[in-house]
Amino acid sequence: MSGVWRITPSGWAGLALALACALILPAFAGRYWLSVATSGGCFLIAIAGVGFMYARLGMVSLAQCALMGVGGWVMLRLNHAFALPFEVNLILAALVTMVCGFVLALPALRLRGLYLALVTLMAAGGLEIVFATFQFPNGGTGFGGVQMGSAGPFRRPALAETPEAYFRYVVACAVLGFLLIEAHRRLAPGRTWALIRRSEAAAMAAGVHVTLYKTWAFGIAGLLAGAAGALLAGSLGLLDAGTFRASESVMLFALAVVGGAHGWLGAVIAAALYKVLPAGLNTLGVDANLAFVIFGAGLLHAVITAPQGIAGQLTGALRRIWARRDA
Amino acid sequence: MDLAPPPARVGAPITMRLAPYTNWIAFAVAMAAVVLALGWGARPNMLGLFVASGLAVGSLYALGGIGLVVLYRATGVLNFAFGAAGAAGAMVCWQLLDWGLWPPAAWAACIAVALAITLAYGTLIAPRLAWRDTVVKAVATLGFALIILGITTYIWPDDPRSISLPTDDVAIRFLGLRLTLTRILVVVASIAIVVGIWAFLRFTAVGLQMRALANDRDLAALTGIPILRVETLAWGIAGVLAGFTGLMFATLIRLEPVVITFMVIPAIAAAICGRLESLVAVLLGGLSMGVVENLLTLSDTFRGVRPIAPFVIAALVLLWLQRGQRLTFGGRE
Repeated sequence: MSGVWRITPSGWAGLALALACALILPAFAGRYWLSVATSGGCFLIAIAGVGFMYARLGMVSLAQCALMGVGGWVMLRLNHAFALPFEVNLILAALVTMVCGFVLALPALRLRGLYLALVTLMAAGGLEIVFATFQFPNGGTGFGGVQMGSAGPFRRPALAETPEAYFRYVVACAVLGFLLIEAHRRLAPGRTWALIRRSEAAAMAAGVHVTLYKTWAFGIAGLLAGAAGALLAGSLGLLDAGTFRASESVMLFALAVVGGAHGWLGAVIAAALYKVLPAGLNTLGVDANLAFVIFGAGLLHAVITAPQGIAGQLTGALRRIWARRDA
Repeated sequence: MDLAPPPARVGAPITMRLAPYTNWIAFAVAMAAVVLALGWGARPNMLGLFVASGLAVGSLYALGGIGLVVLYRATGVLNFAFGAAGAAGAMVCWQLLDWGLWPPAAWAACIAVALAITLAYGTLIAPRLAWRDTVVKAVATLGFALIILGITTYIWPDDPRSISLPTDDVAIRFLGLRLTLTRILVVVASIAIVVGIWAFLRFTAVGLQMRALANDRDLAALTGIPILRVETLAWGIAGVLAGFTGLMFATLIRLEPVVITFMVIPAIAAAICGRLESLVAVLLGGLSMGVVENLLTLSDTFRGVRPIAPFVIAALVLLWLQRGQRLTFGGRE
């Protein structure tokens, strides 16, 4: 069991990056960039979930953004209905979304590959319409809790009232998310998933409950999506249905593949591409539509040239440099 | 495409003889129940109107679904850029009409643009991804769709526009309902296209090759089928369908690039109804989705969420089709 606590070089690098971000970024980033980085951090958690499911089990979820919407909805609903602390709301939102993930996984019991992806896409399409119709709670009365005009106040965590502190809070949550995934990978579920990925026949023959472990993976991805959505709600104070469209869910998966689904670096790259790149193009004065074109072209280029994602290319390059130095 | 159920033994009990038709019977019962539940108490005239306009919307979903399925079967690519190609075609068509071009030329241009865009992807980009996961191939087309959508909305910024066809002004009365020729045209076209493609796959040499490719790519390649040519043809068919669907969508529903681009998602729902395989089931699924979606307007509870109909139907169909199955470890998918 001693291997469980070992920190790999990649792990050190990830922790160092998180620490650097948390300490340095708030010091020199302006209001705008800090808010971009904060929502980037939220999407990072969701991307980690979708990438983990693809890398470990080859299962594709095209509903991650929609699940974030579920988490955000629960968060806002709880915030405006009760006086619970932020952390309790966060955990409840994540758990409710995890249950949604389980429900979504029901078809996964019998479906594979593209069909599974399409079931999740249908769920995303349905949730998109539900969000657009009922909107997100903003302090109104009733179950829907929507009111016209200005939104009610949103309570941020007591630990992190300021934007700077809230950014650090999100970074800490992202680290926890990655640690959760890594812990699963190193313990029994990770070994079982590896067996299932290699051969479902072998896994079944070895007495593995394939369905249970697949559902479990869906649940973790849902948990992360729910936490991400709740944190996003905390960052903005209110949510807009346009954020959780089905096309965004597909985009999130696409970026997880482009960044590289196998490790934290890929997820970080994907989140940066999703949030920071459009914001950067916006500041440079690039037309929003042309930003779409650049984005699409980049996506296509990365999918074609980098099967392991951009992270795979980067680590490959680093390895080559080291190999040359050693030689 | 093989829809004929195996002949049951004569003299077998009735339940056994009906067993091959379970899916069709379930479909008929479910549709009848939905129509009755939603249309109960509505004036028959009103009901007819909703069903008729539902059929028109539904055939748009079906057309999209057919385009997706033909391409998916032949090439293994689920084309998210289907709607984007149609949107670009429709916008070009609007521009040409605005400049006062002879309308038939503008309509042809719509289909030509969609065809060119789809073929460009099919010949330049798709072969580079041939060996990747099905899902990754599908996601790559999303990147392409974003490029097309970005260019289209850059050239034609948000502005209320519309295309009207001469068939909009012609209407016939049928059982007391006034139906524009465009609506009839789109329903008839979707049925004709299914029959046409079925005949093409069934009776031509290329159709046979396409079916072989759909059945098993590697074996088809071994037997010397010119894969590239057959695939290009499939991309071509998909392109033409995208152009036609885009034009019809722009006329019947809305001429807005973003809306037309993402109509691919309900089209995928229609394709799911046919298990990405059976064109007849795609057609029926698409039509039923349109009808149910329109009938939901009659219900006070569900009026707001009626666009959800395609997704719910697709999810139910998937769950129904895989009932009684267990996850086993055969097959590629």
